Amino acid sequence: MEAYILSLVVFGALNVMLALGLNMISGFCGQISLGHAAFYGTGAYAAALLSISGLPFAASLALGALVAGALGLVVGFATLRVREDFLAITTMGVGFLFLGFVRKQEWLGGEFGVAQIPSPLSPLGFAVLAVGGALAMVALSLHLRRSWMGEVFRAVAADEDAASTLGVDTARYKLWAFVLGTACAGFAGGIYAHVTGLIVPDAFDFIQSVTILAMVVVGGIGSTWGVLAGAVLLTLMPELFRFVNDYKLLIYGALLLAVMRWSPSGLAGLAALVRRALRSSPA
Amino acid sequence: MSLLEARDLSVTFGGVHAVRGVDIAVERGELLGLIGPNGAGKTTLVRLLTGAVRADAGTIRFDGHDITRAPAYARARQGLAMTHQLVRPFRDMTLAENVSLAAAHAVTARPLAALLRTGRGAARRRAGELLERLEITEFAGRGAATLPLGVQKRLEMGRAIAIEPRLLLLDEPLAGLNQTEAARLADLIATLNREGLTVVLVEHNLAEVLRIATRLLVMVEGAVLASGAGSEVMRRGDVRAAYLGESRAGTGEGRGARG
Amino acid sequence: MFHLELLVVGLIWGAMYAMMALGLTLVYGLLRILHVAHAGVFALGAYAGVLTANATGSLWLAVPAAIGVAAAVGPLIYRFIYAPMLSRPPYVALIASIGLFIAMEDGFRLLFGPYGLPFDYNPWFVTTYSLGGISLNVVQIAMAVSTLVLAGAFGVFIAATRVGVAWRATVSDPQMAQSFGIDPVRVRYLNFAIGSAMAGAAGLLVGLLNNLVEPGMGAVVSYKGLAIIVLGGLGNVPGAVVASLILGVVESFGTVYLAAVLDRDAIAFAVLIAVLLIRPRGLFAPAR
Ligand SMILES: Nc1ncnc2c1ncn2[C@@H]1O[C@H](COP(=O)(O)OP(=O)(O)OP(=O)(O)O)[C@@H](O)[C@H]1O
Ligand SMILES: [Mg+2]
Repeated sequence: MEAYILSLVVFGALNVMLALGLNMISGFCGQISLGHAAFYGTGAYAAALLSISGLPFAASLALGALVAGALGLVVGFATLRVREDFLAITTMGVGFLFLGFVRKQEWLGGEFGVAQIPSPLSPLGFAVLAVGGALAMVALSLHLRRSWMGEVFRAVAADEDAASTLGVDTARYKLWAFVLGTACAGFAGGIYAHVTGLIVPDAFDFIQSVTILAMVVVGGIGSTWGVLAGAVLLTLMPELFRFVNDYKLLIYGALLLAVMRWSPSGLAGLAALVRRALRSSPA
Repeated sequence: MSLLEARDLSVTFGGVHAVRGVDIAVERGELLGLIGPNGAGKTTLVRLLTGAVRADAGTIRFDGHDITRAPAYARARQGLAMTHQLVRPFRDMTLAENVSLAAAHAVTARPLAALLRTGRGAARRRAGELLERLEITEFAGRGAATLPLGVQKRLEMGRAIAIEPRLLLLDEPLAGLNQTEAARLADLIATLNREGLTVVLVEHNLAEVLRIATRLLVMVEGAVLASGAGSEVMRRGDVRAAYLGESRAGTGEGRGARG
Repeated sequence: MFHLELLVVGLIWGAMYAMMALGLTLVYGLLRILHVAHAGVFALGAYAGVLTANATGSLWLAVPAAIGVAAAVGPLIYRFIYAPMLSRPPYVALIASIGLFIAMEDGFRLLFGPYGLPFDYNPWFVTTYSLGGISLNVVQIAMAVSTLVLAGAFGVFIAATRVGVAWRATVSDPQMAQSFGIDPVRVRYLNFAIGSAMAGAAGLLVGLLNNLVEPGMGAVVSYKGLAIIVLGGLGNVPGAVVASLILGVVESFGTVYLAAVLDRDAIAFAVLIAVLLIRPRGLFAPAR
């Protein structure tokens, strides 16, 4: 039972990191990405292989985040010239390309992935690490929003060309968003690899990307607290309602659809509505 | 040496030859009125100069530097600012936030500094002063998308001035304003110019242009037709034929013009 | 010979992609929506077909069933999902569409089982003809033929009929079209009906070709369909057809020559990304 709860805590925290990272790219900076799982996978594979080769756990985690961020930089660079719908499809393509590549690489274990990844921490240790990491990312995310970089991100999301006429090098800012967001995913990937001890390519497929996106939009794209709530909610949902498990994808899909249809700003939007209603009708 | 000098600028969109072989020089300290009928290529010329559109041919020099290949943000940093004819505020930011962002240009030019800094004070103060001068302080906290067109036009101007340019290109800043507002804003433009800012003013409100411009340039069908002192230029037959022939010159009515 | 065979098989797959991509690009051209759920319609057509065929014992009846069900559902998707979202930022409809597709896929799995439904009786699958030394079964021939016929009919429809002209006018300038008395909403319904009908037909043919209709059959096709319409220049109908055929052929050769580095389904995206690096708006879009 305790092990179950600890693993739930770890996965919840990993999802928070993934969702907050994607939110920096898509929510703050307005660059829709449909391939976030590729960076999660990159971090996982990099950290796993480094650990297996004998590097200390902490170094593997850090390098995993770094490698994912570096790939984020490359992908960001490659996608600088494509916008909006083209960007969405291109990032989706990056996800498929990652998967199609990894599956065929013998040195990455092909279809069977990488096994026997060392497990340097106790379940409690992993839970503490993951929650600590998630909290650090909440702090980063809140700071980012308040910083001038966050303000520039908002401008880039609203109107890239207008921002550049004000002297903003929009390309560099977009790259920053990609690097920050994908490094967060890479860090989460490193923890994931060491928690499970086994990684396979299919854990980082398009559905995983969509699941991360679902957390972001259900929570409220652009809102740190909303995204945090979205990630926790979607992690717990299948666990709270056991019967949901068999219908997990049906519910994910329907939820995405329903949120976009009736409340495109997600939980954060609902919370804002409620707050406004409370303020305008003093008890 | 002129502040800005462009030679033989040309650009086509699909089949439309929007700007064809334009030579233009903007002298330090002048307030150059740029007029011409709808579709003459005025907006396109402004966008070519600021880098929003890339020229198919020609060269642009600003303060002695060749900026023909420089991206828009680099030109802005060198001191070229513009306003958009079709307003483009950052829609989910307030008026004050829009102008503050521009006022923080020294910070936003360095992403790492932008990531580390959160203090809004200096930029807010600078933006506040500009809103005061533009007489839109009362709208400071309102979302930019919800503002009346006249205020959004002045938001465009506030943002452009906030980056402390040496040359300000204004694309129909008076359109959408009523007569009193237009006259007051024109006065402000003239004052900014007297304070040392070089201005290119694209405008259909001829009365105001003639009142404040120090020189006039007329474009027709993508080319420069005439240039010189306002009264002289307006006396020329070819200008009257090309321009007055088809338009509502001098009425300064607010048109929802094209970009 | 071997290369010729690869080419022919590639073109046939390309033809199937074209049937999918046409619907996608029609929707994009008209509404600027990336209609991922088109793949759900594709699978729905296949299910309608296999259920009809197995219930009646007639493959011929499966054809109108697949096309009819798909053509009915497409406009409903527009009416109840996309229409209320048209004024929102583009990602809203995209994410809703992904959600709908995932839900449909899982719905098929829950209703008809995870392993899919085979055709009880599929003579088209086993009857083969040899053309110039290359042996093709009836389904493959039908794929090529129906794409030719449908693409041709669509071309004629667009070029020569009143409705087709209305459609083109609506794509290029909705307001202008409206001022000439064209009802843009009816054009949209028609658009979804035609595109979905083609997807239903394609779904049935793929089901027949694999002799199996399974819940996940739409996924890969749908994502590749998106890659294709981007390659073709979003909203560009002939561009989408050409890009489909190119992709079919590249994949067919790729499964032989790239097998060591990339799996088949990633090839489309490798091509896509390579092309977008050079032409950010696709192969056949004007440069500006
Ligand atoms: N992005 C574009 N794509 C295609 N054609 C364009 C584009 N921008 C401008 N044009 C065309 O170029 C020509 C010049 O347009 P421009 O907007 O520069 O004129 P203008 O002098 O600013 O007119 P107005 O007084 O109406 O603002 C017009 O024929 C216009 O239709
Ligand atoms: Mg103009």
